[in-house]
Amino acid sequence: MPRLPAGVWSLSGFSLLWFGGIVLPLLAIILVSFLQGRGLNINFDPTIKQYERFFSYGGGEMLARSVRIAGTVTLIELLLAFPFALWLAKGCKNNTVKLLTFTALTVPFFLSPAARVIVWRSVFGINGVVNQVLLGAGIVDEPVLWLIFSEFSVHFGFIGAFFPTMVWPIFLSVSLIDNDFLEASGDLGASRLRTLLHIILPLALPGIVAGFVFTFIPMLGDAVVSSYMGGNNVLMLAAQVQSLIGVSNFLVAAALAAVVLAIMLAFQVLLWFALKPVGGLAGVFASLRR
Amino acid sequence: MTSSEAGAGGARAADDSPVLSVQNATHQFGSLVAVDDVSITAGRGEFLTLLGESGSGKTTLLRVIAGLERPTQLGGIFIEGQDVSAVPASRRNCTTVFQHYALFPHMSVGQNIEYGLRVRGVSLSERRERAMEALNLVRLPETYDRRVHQLSGGERQRISLARALVTRPAILLLDEPLGALDEKLRVDMQVELLDLHRKLGITFIYVTHSQEEALTMSDRIILMRNGNIVQEGPPTDLFDRPGNRFVADFMGVENLLEGTLEAVSGGRASVRVGDHELGGIWSGGDAPAAGTKVCVAVRAERVRLSNESGEGREDAVNRLPCRAGITIYKGKYVDRTLDTDIGAVKARIWDHEADLADLTSLWWRDDECAVTLMEAEDS
Repeated sequence: MPRLPAGVWSLSGFSLLWFGGIVLPLLAIILVSFLQGRGLNINFDPTIKQYERFFSYGGGEMLARSVRIAGTVTLIELLLAFPFALWLAKGCKNNTVKLLTFTALTVPFFLSPAARVIVWRSVFGINGVVNQVLLGAGIVDEPVLWLIFSEFSVHFGFIGAFFPTMVWPIFLSVSLIDNDFLEASGDLGASRLRTLLHIILPLALPGIVAGFVFTFIPMLGDAVVSSYMGGNNVLMLAAQVQSLIGVSNFLVAAALAAVVLAIMLAFQVLLWFALKPVGGLAGVFASLRR
Repeated sequence: MTSSEAGAGGARAADDSPVLSVQNATHQFGSLVAVDDVSITAGRGEFLTLLGESGSGKTTLLRVIAGLERPTQLGGIFIEGQDVSAVPASRRNCTTVFQHYALFPHMSVGQNIEYGLRVRGVSLSERRERAMEALNLVRLPETYDRRVHQLSGGERQRISLARALVTRPAILLLDEPLGALDEKLRVDMQVELLDLHRKLGITFIYVTHSQEEALTMSDRIILMRNGNIVQEGPPTDLFDRPGNRFVADFMGVENLLEGTLEAVSGGRASVRVGDHELGGIWSGGDAPAAGTKVCVAVRAERVRLSNESGEGREDAVNRLPCRAGITIYKGKYVDRTLDTDIGAVKARIWDHEADLADLTSLWWRDDECAVTLMEAEDS
């Protein structure tokens, strides 16, 4: 029997782990979502009742809201994080400033997500800092209510929580761009804007794609921000799954999870098509070959 | 020692206003002075080499010219008579060939070459045409659709040349372009660069640490050290008439004998080294007073062997009794170290018949030997 190279072994080992640890549970969720019953008494009789129930109770609207908010926030993150990462990777020459920035980007994440988010309540709440200041200055006569438990506050909460996940991959990919390329571009006659468009953006694309994936997808799965900052006014997928599990409604929770899964898959397909003009995912990473 | 344009092939005297003039450029990195109040000019179509060891400031000076480095202090930089001190690199009429090529990895060869045209808004068809022209110039027309990582080192070098030339700059700046190539390829590329220079008539400013490269290619060489110009002139000047001991050493003179100047007359210097009186051509500029420490610089291949005493001969001035030392066989020639009473002298013997086993003395002609200052005044 021919000896298999180590790569094959580790690949098949990985595949086995991945299948057993991730794919099987997902398949189980999908299976459960087509069953019926109440509580833990499950009846093995395929049905789409759970899906019907989910969509008839405004599930579609919540779905659309979740994707819309996650999408909007991801775009905002990209617009905020790209210039920031560019500055951090190429503009910031002072190592102390750099170190402090890295610290600022990581230290808050030692705290639990709930602890991090809940402080905003004291800032944006009815008796929060912002309202106190506004009332004290006489700018408003009564507390501004849309500051908390609104789409505004949910967006705000997400932006803070998911900034580093967008910054890090972009920072890394911009750091990898050789300064020679930027100098050569300028030397050949390109303005700063053209250097940004023709050299930096394409070479930073792997980081941008990674940042997008690591921001958008976990945001869809985040239950903390929407429940603490949105309350009952801004219901989102992940929080809903959690509360359904909380009341032991596993079947609808499974249906909901299956829907999220479907969205992720659709998103993957979308990404695949979006990257086609640059040669697909392989094209994105081709720029890393030297 | 300004350019007399007498060097080989450099005489394109139609327009003698300099295409480049850098006046009093100083550049500091923190407390390190990389370029120290340097002024240079380059003539139209000249092949000018900035020569020096690493850290001499030659690359910094090139980057100042390109606009990639904003000098700490500057009298002015003029390209084609226009002051470009405040003009960014992107709008200076010169392009750089980078040491490590800096070819954009996400673009094909064709896209790389067309880049300078693309950012200038040249139409697609003209871009393609001019890119093909440039590719033909560097003899790689079949590589248009290749990816950069599929090219060999020599090919990358030529593509980066084509990319820099396609916008037809007035000056081409080359930063040790052959540094990363292997020996044989480097020699081929030297010939190719010379060929391109002749064909295009563009001013080349070439940075290198290799005196051999500088001698082969340049119309004029500027030798730099610690941010200052040590000597400038045509290759023969630096090679045969080094202005001080550092230049002689850098240009590869094997035998540097320290002595006391006795007199300079008619361009000839006589020097006392130990018990011997040596003579050579004075190369150190204004002659210093007798008694100054000077350096007798003689190349190993100029040293000849003899087994006669040589008394009474005309050239007896540079004759030293010696004993044979180590012999190193180098294939094309033999290097011999000979012990004299003023130290070891290296002789290089190309002709086997001139190699003597029973030698008693060595000598060299005084017009094949330079006498020069010990070190530059400023260091």
